[in-house]
Amino acid sequence: MSNEHTVKSYEEELQFLVDSVIKMGSLTESQMVDSMDAIIKVDKDSIDKIIKSDDEINKFRSKIDTQIMTLLVKRAPMAIDLRETISSLKISQDLERIGDLSKSNAKKVKPLPLDLPEELLSNLKRLGELVIKQLNDVLDSYVNKNYDKAKEVWKKDEQVDDLTYIAMESVIDFLSKDKKNLDFSTHLIFATKNLERAGDHITNIAESICYLIKGEYLKGSRPKGKVIQE
Amino acid sequence: MNEVKIKSNNLNVFYGDKQALFDVNLDLNEKEVTALIGPSGCGKSTFIRCINRMNDVIDICKVTGNIEIDGVEINDENLDVVSLRERVGMVFQKPNPFPKSIYDNISYGPKIHGKGETKSELDEIVERSLKKAALWEEVKDRLDEPGTGLSGGQQQRLCIARAISVNPEVILMDEPCSALDPIATAKIEELIDELKKTYTIVIVTHSMAQAVRVSQKTGFFHLGKLIEVGKTEKIFKNPDNKMTQDYITGRFG
Repeated sequence: MSNEHTVKSYEEELQFLVDSVIKMGSLTESQMVDSMDAIIKVDKDSIDKIIKSDDEINKFRSKIDTQIMTLLVKRAPMAIDLRETISSLKISQDLERIGDLSKSNAKKVKPLPLDLPEELLSNLKRLGELVIKQLNDVLDSYVNKNYDKAKEVWKKDEQVDDLTYIAMESVIDFLSKDKKNLDFSTHLIFATKNLERAGDHITNIAESICYLIKGEYLKGSRPKGKVIQE
Repeated sequence: MNEVKIKSNNLNVFYGDKQALFDVNLDLNEKEVTALIGPSGCGKSTFIRCINRMNDVIDICKVTGNIEIDGVEINDENLDVVSLRERVGMVFQKPNPFPKSIYDNISYGPKIHGKGETKSELDEIVERSLKKAALWEEVKDRLDEPGTGLSGGQQQRLCIARAISVNPEVILMDEPCSALDPIATAKIEELIDELKKTYTIVIVTHSMAQAVRVSQKTGFFHLGKLIEVGKTEKIFKNPDNKMTQDYITGRFG
C-alpha cells in the first residue's frame, strides 16, 4: 500500500480487516492440517477438536463481515481500498467454505477402520499435502501482496486435479476388489472430493488476490487436470 | 463513446506571475458528463472558466494554448464572447438568482439574447426551462415571487433553469451541490442525468461519490496539471496514476 491515509482511524480499520483475514486464513490452514492428519492416522480422538475449530473460523467470518459493512458505510472506500475491502469479503467466504470442507473430512474419520491399507492412504496424503501447500502459498501471497505467487497457485490447481484423479482411482480400485469395502470407501471418495473442492476455493482466493493487486481479473481459463466424470 | 465537443490543447493559464494551468490537454465528449476533481487550488475551476472565457473578466489573467468547441477556437480575439456564453452556460457553487421574480430570472437571458420576442414566447421558454430543471411543479403558481425566496436547492435548480433558458450546448457546473442538503443534491444529480441527454456537462466537484454517480469521464488535476483522465469507473476502481489513487483514497498530504 502507498502513503498512509490522512484519517488515521481509516488506516487502522483497513489494517484491522486485513489482519482478520490473515488470522482467519491461518486458522483455516491449521484446521486443514489437523483434519488431514486425522484421516491419515485414523485419529478419532481429534475429530471433536477439529469440528470445534470450525466454529472459530465461522466467527471470524461474521466478524469480517461486520468490519466490511462498517468500512463501506463509514469510508465509502475507493480504488485500492475498495478492492482491499471487496477481496476481504470474497477471501473470507472462500476460507469459510474451506473450513467446512475440512470439518466434513474430520467427520469422515469416525467410520474408517484402523487398518486401512497404506497404498490407499498414500495417494490421499499426497493430495492433502499439495492442497495444504497451496493454501499456505496463497495466504503467503495475500500477506505479501505477491501477484506472481498468487498466479502460480492458480495455475498449480491443475496438479490438484491430477492428484485427485489418482487418489479417486486408487479408492475405486480398492472398492472393486471387495464390495465389503463400500462403506468406508465412499467416505474416502468424499474426502478426496472435498480436498479437490478446497483446491478450487484456493484458486478463487488467488484470483481475488490478483484482482486486489492489479485491479483486473486473470485472463483466460485456468489450466485443468484430469477429472473423474461425475 | 460520444464525439468530442470541447478540446483543449496545451492550455496554460497565468494569473499575473503565477501559473495556474500547465499544458492541459483534455477532450470533453458531447452529451456526456465529465467530472473534474482535485484538491483546492489545483486548477479545475480555472479550467472550466476557460471554456466560456470567464477568465477574461480578470485583468491579470493570461491564457495561452487552444480551446476548441466543435473545432472552432474560442480564444480568437474576434469571437463574440456574449454569444459564446450563450452557448456555454454556467452554474456556480452558491445559488445566485437575480433579485427578481422567478419568471424574470428565467426570461432575462432569452430577452437580452433576442430569443423571446413576445410574451407568449417568453412564457413558453420559462415553462420549458423550469420543467427541464425539474422545478416547474414547485413554482408554477408563484412565478412572480422573488427567486431569492426559494430554498437553496430550488434556487440552484432555478439557476440551472436560467442557464438552459438560452438553449446552450454546454453547461459548466462549479461545485453545484456543495451548499445543498442531501435531498436537494439528489435532485440536482437526477437532473444532471436528464440534462446530459441534451447538453455537454462539465462538473467540478469535491465529492468523489458524486463524481462516480454523475459522470462518465473523470479528470484529476493537481497543482495546475491534468494528472489523469479516463472513464470514471476506471479512475475510481483502478486508476493508473499513484497520485490519483492517493487523492481519491484520502492519502494526500
